[in-house]
Amino acid sequence: MAVDNWGAQNAKIWLGKVKTLLVVVLLAGFAYPILTAKMKATPYEGRQKIKFWHRWGGEWEKVVFDIAKEFNESQTEYEVVPMFVTGTGSETKFILSATGGDPCDVMSIWNGGLAPLAAADLLTPLESLMTPEELKYFQTVPYPSVRESGQFKGKTYGITIGADLFGYYVNADHLREAGLDPDQPPKTFSELVAMGKKLEKRDPKGNLLRMGLNVASLQTHCYAYGPGFWDDKKKELRLNTPDMVEALTAMVEQRKSVGFQNAQRFWASQNTGSSTGAWPFIDGAVSITYDGQWRVEEIRKYKPNMDYRVWPIPPPEGGRPLPGSIGGNYMIIPVAAKNKKGAFEWLKFWSGLTQPNRAAKFENWGGWLPLSPDVAHSPTYEGYVKQNPRFQTFIDILDGPNCHAYPPVGYLAYLLDELQRAEDTALRGSKTPKQALDELDANIKKELKKRKEMGFDDSL
Amino acid sequence: MSPKARENLTGYLFISPWLIGFFVFTLWPFLRSFYLSFCNYNIVQPPKFIGLANYQMMLFNDDLFYKSLWVTLRYAILAVPLTLVVGVALALLLNLNVKGIAVFRTIFYLPSIVPTVAMTSIFMWILNPQVGMVNRILTIFGITGPAWLSDPVWTPWTLIFMAVWAAGGSMVIYLAGLKDIPQYLYEAATLDGASAWRKMRVITLPMLSPVIFFNLVMSVIGTFQYFTQAFVISNGSGGPEDSTLFYALYMFKRCWKYMDMGYGSAMAWVLFLIVMVSTGLIFQTQKRWVHYGR
Repeated sequence: MAVDNWGAQNAKIWLGKVKTLLVVVLLAGFAYPILTAKMKATPYEGRQKIKFWHRWGGEWEKVVFDIAKEFNESQTEYEVVPMFVTGTGSETKFILSATGGDPCDVMSIWNGGLAPLAAADLLTPLESLMTPEELKYFQTVPYPSVRESGQFKGKTYGITIGADLFGYYVNADHLREAGLDPDQPPKTFSELVAMGKKLEKRDPKGNLLRMGLNVASLQTHCYAYGPGFWDDKKKELRLNTPDMVEALTAMVEQRKSVGFQNAQRFWASQNTGSSTGAWPFIDGAVSITYDGQWRVEEIRKYKPNMDYRVWPIPPPEGGRPLPGSIGGNYMIIPVAAKNKKGAFEWLKFWSGLTQPNRAAKFENWGGWLPLSPDVAHSPTYEGYVKQNPRFQTFIDILDGPNCHAYPPVGYLAYLLDELQRAEDTALRGSKTPKQALDELDANIKKELKKRKEMGFDDSL
Repeated sequence: MSPKARENLTGYLFISPWLIGFFVFTLWPFLRSFYLSFCNYNIVQPPKFIGLANYQMMLFNDDLFYKSLWVTLRYAILAVPLTLVVGVALALLLNLNVKGIAVFRTIFYLPSIVPTVAMTSIFMWILNPQVGMVNRILTIFGITGPAWLSDPVWTPWTLIFMAVWAAGGSMVIYLAGLKDIPQYLYEAATLDGASAWRKMRVITLPMLSPVIFFNLVMSVIGTFQYFTQAFVISNGSGGPEDSTLFYALYMFKRCWKYMDMGYGSAMAWVLFLIVMVSTGLIFQTQKRWVHYGR
C-alpha cells in the first residue's frame, strides 16, 4: 500500500514537472520571436520621419497607406508614418498629446473640430509655412467654402485632404415602380416630399416596410431657405429667423406625413452608419436618402449594377438652389509639432496645393471632394467623374453659390450639438419648430453670455 | 536614529510606492480640480481664476445640468433597488442545494464579466425595433414593441433592464454573505416551528443586511458615475431628447468636447458632494436596519 502511495506521489511530482516544463517551453516559444526581433528596416532609413495621425480604419486605411507610399517614394528628405487613431476621442488624444508637448506632426481631423482647437492656440497658422507663391495660390484658387472651413479668425489652421458634401441618393428602380421618372428631379422640396410619399411601403398595420424619403438635416436643409444659421457678414448667429423656422417646419411636416413614431422606429432599426452593402439605401430599405459623396464609391464596390441618381436638395418656391455644407477631413499641424516643414510637405502633396492632377488621383481613391477647381477639373478627376457620373452633383454643389463652411466659432461643437437637439425635438413632434428654435436661440445666448463672463474669447 | 524611528522609516519606505501613487495620482488631482472649479480652464492655456462663476452658471443658468441630474437620479431611484432585490433573490435561489447549482451560478454570473461596451452593443441589436429579438418575440403575441433605444419614454427602462441583467456581480457577494450565516440559527428556528418565510424575514435578511448595506452604498456611488452604456447607446450625444444625458456624460462633454475643464471640475465637485450626502444619508439609516450579529 505504502509503496503504491509513494509511486502515485512520485508520478504526481513528475507530472507537475512536465507541466511546468511545457509552460516554460510555450512561453519561450512565444517570447523568442519578440525578444529577438529587430525593428524592420524601412527603405527610407535616414530620412526625417513625419508622424501622421488619421481616423481612417478598415478599408480606408489602405488608401491612406497607398498615398503615404507615393509620398515616400517621391521624397528624399521625409518619410511619412501614418497611424490610425480611432475616431471617437481622437480629438481628446490630440489635445492631451499637444498639451503634453509630444503630439504628432500632422493630423487629419473633422473640420467641425477645428475651430475649438484653433481657439485654444493648439494649431499652427498654415500661412506661416507657405511660400509667397503658395499663399497667393491658396488665397485665390481653392473653393471659398472649402478654404474657409479650415479657417478661424482670418487665419488658416487646416487644409482639406478630402472634403465631403451630401446629396439625395435616389433609387431609380423604386421610382420607376412607383411610376416616377428618375431623370426628372423635383423642382421644389414639396415635389420631393410628394415623391417620397409615393415610394413608401407599409404593412397592413401601417408600419413602414420601406421609407420613401429620408430628409437632410437642418444644418444643410436651411441653406435652401435663406442664408442659414450663421450670418457671415455680420458675424452673428441667426437661429430662429423666419427662414430657419420655415426650413424646419418643412422637415417636420414631411415627418408628420410619415408619422413621427413610425419614422423613428423604422430609421432606428436601420444600420445607417454601415459602409457596406448593409447601408439602407443599397439594402433597398429607403428609396431616397440624404448622404455623403463617398457613398458613390461604396455603391461602386458593393452594388455596382445599382441604378441610382444623386440630386441636390430642391429648394422651396423662390428658394436657393444647390445648397451644401462642407464637412470632411482637414489636415492640421500642432504648434508643438517637431517637424512642421515635413508635415506641410505631406499636406501639400495630398491636398493638391502642388500638382493638382496627382492629388486628383488620391481624392478619387477615397471618393472625396477636392480643395480647388484645379483638382476638380484636372484630367484625372474629370475622368473619374465620367466613370462615376453621379459624382457630378457634388461638384455642381461645390461650384455653386450656395455652398457654406461651418461658422468659424470656438463654441462650434456646442452649437452643432444644440442645433441637432432642436431638430431632433421638433422631428419627434415634442415641440413645434418655432418653439424648438426659440429655445435653441435662448440656450445659445445663455451659453455665450456665460462664456463672455468667464473670459472665453469668442470675438471674431 | 532610534530603533523606533528606523522601524518607522522602513515601514514608510515599504509603502512609499503606494504613497507616491496616492499623492501624485489621487490627492494632487483631487485638490487641483477643486482649484480649477473656480477657473476658466481649457487645458491648453493657464487657468484663469473667475471665482464662483462656474458654480453660478451651473446652478442658476444651465438647464442641462438639472436635466442630467434628473436623468441620473431617476435611474438611481429605479435601478438601485431593483438590482438589489434581483441580486438578493438570485442569491437565495442559487444558495439551494440542487444538482448542477455550480453551473447555474456560473450562468448568472457571466453577464457581469462581459465588457460593458460589448454588452451594450449586443443589447442594441437585441432591442432593435424592427429586427431585434425582443420585438420579434413580442410580434408573435401580436404586440408591436417600442423603439427601446430611440424613444425617450423607453430608453430609461431599457437601461434599467440592462442593469438588472448584469445583477450577477452583486449576486456573488450576497451568496458569500448567505454562506456566512450560521446554520444553527436555521436549526433553532426549525425547532421553534418557524416557516420558511419567517426564517427569511428574521434570520436571512437581518444577517445579510451588512452585505446589502455594502452593495447599496457601492451601487449608489456607481450609479452617479454611470457613463459607458449611455455613451455607447447615444453615440455620446445623450439623446434621444436628453433621456440618456447622465451627469457623468454631460460632464465629459463639457470637459472634452467643449474644452471647458473649469466647468467640468465644478460639476465633478457638485457630484462629489451629492455622492457624499447620499452615502451619509444611507449610513444614517443603517442603525435601523443593518445588523452585525452582535
